[in-house]
Formats: sequence, C-alpha cells, structure tokens
Amino acid sequence: MTSPVAIPPIRFFRVSRYRQLAWWGSALACLLSVVGMVLCWTSPSIGLPLRPGLDFTGGTQIQLERACGSDCVAITVEQLQQQLQRLRLSAAPEGGAAPNLATAQVQVLDGGRSLTLRLPELSPEQSAQLTDQITAVTGPLVPAGTSVNTIGPTLGDQLLRGSVISLLVSFAAIAAYITFRYDRLYAALALLCLFHDVLLTCGLFAWLGLLRGVEVDSLFAVALITVAGYSVTDTVVVFDRIREQASLLRDLPVVDQVDVAVDATLTRSLYTSLTTLLPLIALILFGGSSLFWFAMALTVGITVGSWSSIGIAPTLLPVVARRR
Amino acid sequence: MARQQGWIALILALAIAAGALLASFPLQLGLDLRGGSQLMLQVMPAGSISRVGREQLEAVKEVLERRINGLGVAESTLQTVGDDQLVLQLPGEQDPSRAAKVLGTTALLEFRAQKSGSEQEMQTLLRLKRQATAVLNRRQARADAAQPGSPSGSASPDAELPDEALAKSLGQLGIPVPPGSSATDQLELLLAEVNSRIVALYEPAQLTGKDLVGAGRQQQQAGNAWDVTLSFNREGGDQFARLTQSIAGTGRLLGIVLDGRSISEATVGPEFKAAGISGGGASITGNFSADEARDLEVQLRGGSLPLPVRIIEVRTIGPSLGAENIRTSLVAGLAGLALVAVFMVVVYRLPGCVAVISLSLYALFNLAVYALIPVTLTLPGIAGFILSIGMAVDANVLIFERVKEELRAGTTLIRSVDSGFSLAFSSILDGHVTGLISCVALFALGTGLVKGFAVTLAIGLLLSLFTALTCTRSILRLLLGYPSLRRASYFLAPPASPAGASS
Repeated sequence: MTSPVAIPPIRFFRVSRYRQLAWWGSALACLLSVVGMVLCWTSPSIGLPLRPGLDFTGGTQIQLERACGSDCVAITVEQLQQQLQRLRLSAAPEGGAAPNLATAQVQVLDGGRSLTLRLPELSPEQSAQLTDQITAVTGPLVPAGTSVNTIGPTLGDQLLRGSVISLLVSFAAIAAYITFRYDRLYAALALLCLFHDVLLTCGLFAWLGLLRGVEVDSLFAVALITVAGYSVTDTVVVFDRIREQASLLRDLPVVDQVDVAVDATLTRSLYTSLTTLLPLIALILFGGSSLFWFAMALTVGITVGSWSSIGIAPTLLPVVARRR
Repeated sequence: MARQQGWIALILALAIAAGALLASFPLQLGLDLRGGSQLMLQVMPAGSISRVGREQLEAVKEVLERRINGLGVAESTLQTVGDDQLVLQLPGEQDPSRAAKVLGTTALLEFRAQKSGSEQEMQTLLRLKRQATAVLNRRQARADAAQPGSPSGSASPDAELPDEALAKSLGQLGIPVPPGSSATDQLELLLAEVNSRIVALYEPAQLTGKDLVGAGRQQQQAGNAWDVTLSFNREGGDQFARLTQSIAGTGRLLGIVLDGRSISEATVGPEFKAAGISGGGASITGNFSADEARDLEVQLRGGSLPLPVRIIEVRTIGPSLGAENIRTSLVAGLAGLALVAVFMVVVYRLPGCVAVISLSLYALFNLAVYALIPVTLTLPGIAGFILSIGMAVDANVLIFERVKEELRAGTTLIRSVDSGFSLAFSSILDGHVTGLISCVALFALGTGLVKGFAVTLAIGLLLSLFTALTCTRSILRLLLGYPSLRRASYFLAPPASPAGASS
C-alpha cells in the first residue's frame, strides 16, 4: 500500500483505480441508449422514445390457438391478412361502420400453432365474429386457448399517464427519503445512478423495439419502478458503509474511504444481485411468454443497477465532495 | 435463551396458524390465472352532469347489478374503481359480447306520439325501413343457410332494393358512403339514418321506462319473432292510456324509442278513441330474435342507466391459457427458490441453512397473508412475490456478510452474530423503506395489474423485515445454544492456507 496513512487491508481491488474506465463505459452505454430512443422517436412507425404496446395505444389483441396439435398445416401471415380483409363484421355499437382491418398486424408463433393479431379497437361482438370467421383459413381453434384483450383509447392514455406519474412520484419520494436519512449529496448521487439505470434499461428496450419490434406495456413501467427502488437500495448500502466508517478513517482521503467501503460491500452487492437474478432467470427460462420481457427488463435493470452502485456512485463521490 | 425460546414458540405458532389459514381459505386466483372475462366500464358525463361523482357511480352500479343478475352469470363481481369506473369480472366466461351488449347500453325506453302534419314524410321513411329490413333479413337468412347445419331458409323475393335504388336513397338522405363498404354496410347505414329521422318526427317523450314494473317476452303466433311485453305501474298505465287516446284513429303513430333509435311504430285504432289503451300493459312488436328479446327484457327490468357507460377495456383469457400461466409461474418460482436455497447453503453454510428455513417460513407467511386479506393473485402479483423473495434473501445476505466480517476481524462467534444483525439493520431498513415507497406510489397511481404487483411486493417487504430480523436471528441463536454447532468453520470457510486445510 502506497498510502501514507494506514489503510485497512483491501481484499479485492481498489475501485478508484478503474474509475476512468467505469465512467467512460457508462457514458458510452448512456449515449447508445439516448441514440436508440432518439431513433425510435424519429422512426415514423413508432414516434415515441419506446415502442408503446397495446396498453398504451389502445386497440384489440387476439391470441388464438389452432386445434391441430403437432401436425399443423402451414399458414402464412399473408393468408391471414387477406382473410382479415375479407371478414364481415357488424357495425360498432355507437354507430359507424365496422373498423378497417387492413392495418392489422399478424404474428404466427410456435410453428404455426398459435397466432397473435393486433387490430383496431373491436367491440366484444366484433371480436367474437372475427374469431368465428377466421377459422376459414386457420381451421378449428381451441376455445380454451383464446385470449382477447381490448383497451379503449381513453384507458390507454390513462394507463400511460398513470405509469409516468407513478414513476416520477416514486423517484421524488425516494430522493426525499435519502436526503432525510443521509444528505443532499448522497441523494443527488443516488438519483444520478437511478437515472443511469433507468436510462440504460429504456435504451435497451428502445433498441429492441427498433430491431425486434418489442413493445413496452404497463408491466414494463412496473419493472422500471422496481429497478429504481432496487438501484437506490444498492447504492444506499455502499453509502451507509462510507458513512459508518467515516469517523474511523477520518484522516484518509475520500478516495481511500470509498475504496475501503466498496471493497467491504463488494461481496454483498454481488451476492444480492445474484440471488435476485436467480428467480428472475428462472422466470425468463420457465415463466412463459407473458412475463418474459418483464423478467428481462428487471434482469437488465438489476445488473446495471449493481454495476452503477459499485462503479459509478462511489467513484463520483470524491469528485463531487471536493467541489463542495 | 428464554427470550429465544419465546420467539421460537411465537414463530411456530404463526407457522401453524398460517398453515391452517391456507387450508381453510383457498387462495383467490385472478382471471388471468383461471380464465374468464373482465370488462371495464367508464361512466360518461351527460346532460347537466359534467363530472361523474361517487353518487352517480353508485346509481349506475345498482342498475348494472340488477342487469347482471338478470343475465344469470355465476360468481360475477362488479366493483367500482376510482370515481367513474366499474370493473365486471365474469369467471369462466369465454364470450363477453352478450354481457357487453346488455351492460353497455343505456336502455332508455320512451313512448312518443308522432307530430301532427308529418304523415307524408313518415310514410316514405317507413317504406324505406321496411325494404331495408327485408333485404337485410334475407341476406342474413342466406348467410345462415350457407353455413352447414342450419336449416335452409327459403327466401321469397318480396320487397327488393336494387343497388341503384339503394345508392339513390342514400344520396337523398345525405349519408356519406365510406369507400369500399359493402351493400350490407350501406343498408345498415341507411337503416340507422332512417330510424333517427323517424325519431325526429315524434313529440318529446310522454312516458318512459321509469314507469315500468315488469317486462317479459313472448313468441309471436306466426313466425319465429318475439315480442317484449311490458307492464306499467298505475301512473304509467294512466299515462299510456292518455297517450294512445290522443292519437287513436288519427293515423299518427305511437313510436317506441330505445336509446334514440326507433324500434317499433304502432298504429292505434279508432276503437281506442274513447279511453285509450288501458289496463297498464303493452307489448313491443319489434321483430326481435329470441336473444334480443331476452336481453331487452333484462335491460328493461333492471331499469335504464342514469348516465351512459362506455366499455373501455375487455380482457378475455381461455382457461387453458390461465392454467398454463399458473404452471409456468409455479415452475419458475420453485426453480428460482431452489437455486437461491442451494446458493445460500453453499456460500453461508450453517446460517445459510437457517436462512433457507426462515425463507420457507417467509413464503408460507406470504401465502397466508394473501389468503387472509384476501389478495387476488394475478400474474404480476406472482412476479411481485418472486421479486420480494429476492429482497428477503438480500436481507439475509447483508446480515451474514457482516457476521463473516466480524469473524474475520477475530470477534467471538456469538458476538459476531449479534453485531452482524445490529450493523446490517440500517441498510436493511433503508432498502425496505425505499422499496415500500415505490409500492405506495405504484398502488396509489397505478391501475389494476400494477396494483396487484404493488400489493404482493409490499406484503413481501413487510414480512421480510419480520422474518430476517426475528426468524433468522432466533433460529440461529437457538442453534448456537448447542456447543457442537458453535464452530467458526460452520460460518466461514477456513482461510485458504496450505497448512489449515482442516480444522
């Protein structure tokens, strides 16, 4: 140890030695995320930083399962789209003609066994007619495997607004709590980390939305809020240790204090992330399609959160503390 | 020691109580796990009411409840959400279209007399209406006949409405025809316009469905069509008699208007000139199908809605998809737990085993609380539960890491365990409080699915504080009471030096 004052033994590594690397890595990732979201925003088919799902846009999504077991006759998206345009639906209950189905998006999954249709908003009666009439190309369906979700445009707006507001409110409340328990500096750094984690998660989904057509729904908003809470918890544990040993290591420079604290909490940070990730990975592997992207968002967010609580928040502390 | 035993006794008692609770109150599963339909209705402001309040919502709910009872769906629930929304859950129902139709319409029934001097216009409109209806019916019959299994309807070529005539009528009435719409669409547009024009020829309503005391249905003597029969209260009966008397023998019509659509036009013969149609009963000859007649009967019995509603969300999920969701979530949850258990035992040894026991208790308590409150378990709810397990493990990791540090620093075993718990406490508390803050925000501002997640995560966080700080601690202290277990190597891997391989 080259430090003039006695520094407690470091078991793993001194995080400050690598801080330039950590900052540049995070800066690059943030930049990529922002680029992804801007590309999404400017893309004519999306027009928002993330590709909004049914929950936010409104409309009808119908999921069908064909009753053909393992030997399904192949079916193409074009066949389905042609059939959709041929359908005869009754008029909407509020008056007005039947919706135009030319804009429908069709997905064929599981080797032709299950189908997902994204349509303009349909009344329950129209949905029933559609499932009846589509059998002309799909063959018989399994009634127990059908799922129909319709979200009206007003509810879509409401869900979007609710999600954004609850995100912002929970950020503000968490910041207030850390300010109360620690101080403003810590709160600012914890919030910075939180934005970092949320930004990277959103960035990844922006790219997924651009390249793979992955959509975000209300569950994604839930995942973001959870990531935010988790990121702050992670950061707070490190800060808690810095504060605890502050009197003990008073004579050491802040950089060394940070190194000691990060080193001491490193095992805990990694183990905690790992134990939280294990159930999530189980959800990704065995959880079925409905929770797949939710678990994915959480996995990414928690990994990034653990990274930022080790590499970003503590290493920024000496820089910000000196300026004060 | 005595204090430890007290805690252990309490924990055991709680575990038994939780088990008993789970055995007697089964967990409530959401529709996404057992299949069924969910409809969300938004009450719309109308007339003098610009903002829907609690009172109006309750009034709407009351009417809807009567209609739902009329529908006879088992186990359905209707709940209010916020100030202007209602959620109807129909477990096991695969086709919500009928419920949507019966619940979504206002069902305001009006009896109105035709304005005098409008006979000429009315004749034209009625002829158009008869033609359009006949053509539509025949098309319907032909479509039915084309499907195998249904009796082939022999359509008689009566009132024909050729395409040119249809286009001309549409043009005369000033109805814009959407490009590419079929003849059936155009006929329906025509019919809707004709019906609303007929309504315009009536006087304001003299009698409404409010004065009904009952409704029924009966099949017409000739043909398959159904009539809906009505019986008025005394006041309504008198009103009806006066109304029919005023137009009897004049050639003007009695219009029966439902939600602004003319559903039936009746002539009143001169024989009723003296006293009107008395007796407090009437029937609507609207050529209804059996289903339509039954639905109208249900709506009229339930009364009309004080405010219109709009269906803003419909979710239907098949039972096999629901079962699939349960199965995969169960597999994921158990696999995740097993992985975590293996990890804890490998890394933390004796305390790891204690953590596994206390985490199993934690899972049991969680489920018992779900049954007790009761929490309806949905897919996001299960996700919240699985995530809260991660948080609960984190508390144990924080404690055991601290214990290890103290041991490495040369502190005695018992003292290390005690200071491990007290030193880790502030971190654990902070983590749980920030988590709970998020839950409160989600619960207060989120919607259905999000709320389910927030509830299970919050319950998980609160219970995790209890199990980490009492269960883990008490069991660990109890075990440390046995001298044979009081070995540092049960807590900490021996230092990796070539000499100290075994101790």
